[in-house]
Amino acid sequence: MTAAIATERLTRVFGPVTAVDGLDLEVAEGEIFGLLGHNGAGKTTTVNMLTTLLPPTGGGASICGRSITADAAGVRRSIGYLPENVRFYDNLTLGENLRFFAELSGIRRPEGRIREVLRLLDFEGPYGQRVGTFSKGMRQRVGIAQAILHEPKVLFLDEPTSGLDPEGVRTLRETIVRLNREFGITVFMNTHLLTEVTKTCTSIGILRAGRLIHSSSLAETLAAFPDEESLEAVYFRLESQPVP
Amino acid sequence: MNAFAASARHEALNIRRSRTAHILLWVFVGMVLVSSLIGWITNRTVTGVFDRIRAEGLTSQPNPFTGVSPLTYERNTVIYVLLIGALMAVVLGAQASLRDRKSGTSALVLSRPVGTASRLLGQLAGIGAVLGVVLGGSVGASWVVLGIIDAAPLGPEHTLRLLAFAALSWVLLMAFAVLGMLTGLVSRSETTALLVSFVLWSAIAFVVPQLGTAARPVTLLGPVPHPAATGGWFDAVAAVTGPLAVTEQYKRAAGVLLQDRNAQAGDWTGALVVAAALLILVLVLAVTPRRRLRRPLDE
Repeated sequence: MTAAIATERLTRVFGPVTAVDGLDLEVAEGEIFGLLGHNGAGKTTTVNMLTTLLPPTGGGASICGRSITADAAGVRRSIGYLPENVRFYDNLTLGENLRFFAELSGIRRPEGRIREVLRLLDFEGPYGQRVGTFSKGMRQRVGIAQAILHEPKVLFLDEPTSGLDPEGVRTLRETIVRLNREFGITVFMNTHLLTEVTKTCTSIGILRAGRLIHSSSLAETLAAFPDEESLEAVYFRLESQPVP
Repeated sequence: MNAFAASARHEALNIRRSRTAHILLWVFVGMVLVSSLIGWITNRTVTGVFDRIRAEGLTSQPNPFTGVSPLTYERNTVIYVLLIGALMAVVLGAQASLRDRKSGTSALVLSRPVGTASRLLGQLAGIGAVLGVVLGGSVGASWVVLGIIDAAPLGPEHTLRLLAFAALSWVLLMAFAVLGMLTGLVSRSETTALLVSFVLWSAIAFVVPQLGTAARPVTLLGPVPHPAATGGWFDAVAAVTGPLAVTEQYKRAAGVLLQDRNAQAGDWTGALVVAAALLILVLVLAVTPRRRLRRPLDE
């Protein structure tokens, strides 16, 4: 299987702090990859580099074979991105917000594609409503909609379930799994919710202080620790091991 | 649709939905209409008084409005463009570059195949379209009112001059809009961005011209700049700061276009300085580093 995401010694330094330290990672096409780690472990910095928002200070990475530094525009055409706590343009309607992102992505007939995506997400009702009136869960669905408008091959989600109620979490989980299974979109998500990782992800990686301390399929990870009853227990066990 | 056009359309739509922008736009249009009304009232009052004293045989002088270009009634508009118009443009510019940083949408925009210059210049084009509509509406209203004052529609030459005045005003307001965008991009908070914008606006509109025309500070509120005192320190300061006083140069060029008696016909230096200011600011905006668009606000 070819790699949808591949990093090689990917590094980002902010002054005296090394946020991401020589990250070597591969995510195969069609995977739902969960990047785990405590706050400040370097998860968001990693996503920011992979989405070309932040240039690396060392090493490199490629998305669908395109370098994030040499072909940033090509990478941007291949990815969809939903950052944490995005608010969108409150004064504009759902349709107007999505139309803007569709036009930015160069979609020729945005209206048709927007309707199609909203149908897919079962979210057509509030088309003409201002986004400022939306709940957190509805905003996350706007976020998913804008991220898949241009039919990306890889979807990056930064803490997608942050602040959602249980119903919102379940809806989002089902959407992610559906996008992955029906459309073959590779998903890379940062998250804290280990129960969601168990229900959604096919492979995981654990970052600690900017270094990748574990990367494997979810099934292999759980099988490697038969005495642990949950991913949470495995996570804390891996976290407590010394950095290689 | 490319990123430039998408950004322009989106910006114009956002301005249409912004309450602050609406207030400023209506105040501006209102003031321009008031300016024309003042001109009309002045004309009627003076002509009425003149007709009465001439009928009483108290004067044989011609009506003071005879031979005066109808465009001179637009002089007050020059001041409104400088005060309300420039302030409006600065606020629109700052809001444009703060919007993405405030709502967190900058990461979404920049994760698309969008060039920094396309994005920023597109936003500027959106502001430009709104300012164009506002100035177009103001000029249209002025054209009607001036026709009423003169009891005849403006001729082609006066109409062209009025349109040229609107174009000159648009260039000046665009320069202020870019200034607002730049402060919005470099400031750490929304409050600072708006505060810095106001400080820059007041410095450009009042302080720099004050240095150049310090001998007669009251002239700052006059539609056409009074020449600085000749000779001595004031003259030396005016020589240096004069070209930098964009607003004074605008008044100078507006005076030429509106056929003010104090203006020197054919003197286009002022217009060139205003255009050069816009060009330089647009170049600075176009080379803004990508990271500036992404930096979140502190608040």
